Amino acid sequence: MTHPLLSLRAVSKTFHSGGREVKAVDNVSFDVAEGECLAVVGESGSGKSTIANMILGIYPQTLGEIAFKGAALPGRRDLAHRRAIQLVQQNPLSSLNPRRTIGASLRLALDVHGIGEKAGRAERTGQLLEEVGLPADFRTRPPAALSGGQRQRVAIARALACQSELVVLDEPTSALDVLVQARVLKLLADLRKSRGLTYLFITHDLSVVRNIADRVAVFEKGRLVEIGPTASVFEAPTHAYTRRLISAVPVVTVAEAALRQRLTEDADAHA
Amino acid sequence: MNTLRIRDLTLGFKGWSGTVEVLHGISLHIGRGERVALVGESGSGKSVTARIVLGLLQSLRSTRLSGLVEFEGRDLSKLSERERHALRGTKMSMIFQDPTSSLNPVYPILTQFHEVLRRADPAINLTGARARAEKALADVSITDPSRALDSYPFQLSGGMNQRVMIAMALANDPSLLIADEPGTALDVTVQAQTLRLMREQVERHGTSVLFISHNLGVVREFADRVYVIYKGRIAEQGPTAALFEDPRHPYTRALLDAVPRITGDGIPEIEDASDAYFAPTEVHEGYGEPEGAA
Amino acid sequence: MRRTFSILLRNPLSLLGLILVSAVVLSAVFADFIAPFPLHRGAVVDFANFNKPPEWPYIFGTDLVGRDLFSRILYAYRISLILGVVVLAIAVPIGVAIGLFAGYLGGWTEYVLMRITDVFLSIPPLVLAMSMMGLLEPTLTNGMIAVTAMWWPWYTRLVYNLARSEKEEGYVLAAEVIGASKLHVMFREILPNCVPSILTKMTLDLGFVILIASSLSFLGLGVQPPTPDLGSMVADGAKYLPDSWWLTVFPGLAILVAVFGFNLIGDALREILGAEQ
Repeated sequence: MTHPLLSLRAVSKTFHSGGREVKAVDNVSFDVAEGECLAVVGESGSGKSTIANMILGIYPQTLGEIAFKGAALPGRRDLAHRRAIQLVQQNPLSSLNPRRTIGASLRLALDVHGIGEKAGRAERTGQLLEEVGLPADFRTRPPAALSGGQRQRVAIARALACQSELVVLDEPTSALDVLVQARVLKLLADLRKSRGLTYLFITHDLSVVRNIADRVAVFEKGRLVEIGPTASVFEAPTHAYTRRLISAVPVVTVAEAALRQRLTEDADAHA
Repeated sequence: MNTLRIRDLTLGFKGWSGTVEVLHGISLHIGRGERVALVGESGSGKSVTARIVLGLLQSLRSTRLSGLVEFEGRDLSKLSERERHALRGTKMSMIFQDPTSSLNPVYPILTQFHEVLRRADPAINLTGARARAEKALADVSITDPSRALDSYPFQLSGGMNQRVMIAMALANDPSLLIADEPGTALDVTVQAQTLRLMREQVERHGTSVLFISHNLGVVREFADRVYVIYKGRIAEQGPTAALFEDPRHPYTRALLDAVPRITGDGIPEIEDASDAYFAPTEVHEGYGEPEGAA
Repeated sequence: MRRTFSILLRNPLSLLGLILVSAVVLSAVFADFIAPFPLHRGAVVDFANFNKPPEWPYIFGTDLVGRDLFSRILYAYRISLILGVVVLAIAVPIGVAIGLFAGYLGGWTEYVLMRITDVFLSIPPLVLAMSMMGLLEPTLTNGMIAVTAMWWPWYTRLVYNLARSEKEEGYVLAAEVIGASKLHVMFREILPNCVPSILTKMTLDLGFVILIASSLSFLGLGVQPPTPDLGSMVADGAKYLPDSWWLTVFPGLAILVAVFGFNLIGDALREILGAEQ
């Protein structure tokens, strides 16, 4: 029997703050198949970031099991687990160390996991930069010399450096301008195809999701309210919250406005 | 008479290594009661334009400013710093991106509302302010205005704070409201409500709005007329519907194409920089002529 | 670096600081060549010229056994600077390391390390140094130990606070997710971002270490005669005020120049490096 690349089984996370218990994630189960892009969608307080953090092993879940290729992931990750699951963060301004060169930031991944011969690693960082559409000589520059979009490409190159199988993308384009966002999304889509990567795409932006994800998981207040293939979730959402979310998206074309209108009417009909 | 008229505005910042030109001669106007959007990416010059209209950059020593900025027929550069100050918060007001951080966390809402009302009516006392504030908060659909007034900003949700900001911004019946990326920091569902509310309110007050945004979808839903700004130059201007249905400038087209669609049309191949984006301004007929004839 | 320097030169106050500090450092380094009476740094007696007011060739006058004050001040600078550099060279690495561990690791490590630091911080520095000097022999080495013991906690505090805020930055998370060791995160990721603040504080502190060392000598607990020291020179001369005013005024001015100069530069650095971040 083949296992999904990642699976969450009845995962919950409770935070304690000031004597109160806050259930950030409540009994969530879903799978991510190898090679797919699953979008995790929700507003603030939906628990989507908490899910990402548990998958990355930043903190353990309170209940349930997170399994990678059929084997439960421990709370304390070893290097092999770290290498297999990588992260691209939202803010490319802070995700690169301002006092280290681009090359040094990329090389860290190669050094930690002993990837390639030591002598060839400097050159390898140049190749990684070229793979994300940047000139190889950027490796000698500090992050401050790069634009936001270029920095985000470096962050993507860093995730590639580990040769990881699953990449958690935490709002990777929401800090970028719309033209830059389009280019970065294109890059992510191309890399997934060429490298056979699996994405867990965390975002609040439904229009991005519609164009990059194979499946969508919609979260509200820590609960998974709807999960399904992207097209069907957008064309015929089954949950009221999903309908509300999609109808709130600001749109730019008449066709989109028509879809939104239809969903709003559906919602009224259900209510 | 237009509420706001800007002609050939240029702006440069003088720094260690010479002057950096930020605006290269932009012209725009806002008629009475009109909602006009200035849409562009970061670094396009849209936010500095708002600051110039508010009169915040005129007295900085490092700025090089030329061109005309006329508010209700008065040339802002001919006013003294004190006169410009008197306009802010009374005849012109502003709503910012992040409502929670633009309210002062150490004072309750009422105190801050009182401050705002005192800008226009120095004699108003706390009781008078309370009465007017309660009415203003009720207008923005806050169900228990009295309780909201006694709360501190951190006790209210982001959406509530945004409504409070809208109520405060309109409390002195300004003729111009400048909204800089309003609601961008909020969740989509809250953002949608906030924009609807803001639209209702400015319609009721007959306020002219300069709406600064990078989000084309939001602009399409809010504005009567749109100026697209690229690197300190106006690329295209026209009535909202015309501009979205028939974008003529290469930059506007790229910008519109780049927005992902909820109908799922894939991710297009787009240049993030191109010489074509510097093409001369495209003007849609109707209301968008530079002189503001209509 | 070049930019930092050109900004330093443009501001009149930091330029003054730069001139003062260069003067102090140069006179300490080249004391052997500048001092008109190099032998006067030691136990020399010249009763023919004792207690002379400033006059050629004794531009700052002579002390009660006839030694040239100007020469002695140059050599006192050398000792003060050595003291300052050695104290910081020991105190800063200790303080920074403890601060990094406490700030980054958190939990029990943080609790234990920071309570120890607080104990040191709660004792007035001069009192701590005085009691240590009272227990030990009042020699230059012990003086350095005493001043070092009271100096590291300030760097712990500084770096602890910096590390706690840097810890929240995305680049730290990125390194952790890659699987970098804790030592790597602390010393290769976080530390470089603390360097500007540490450097600024070190520059300010060089002046203060000189001042504290002088205070200890003034109280008779520091450098012992016949080694020249600014603090003990002021203390000795104070008994003969106001008649032999040069005995106190010139060493006192020398302390002022050094402390003032390092402070001006430290302030300028704070502005420049702070703006660069």
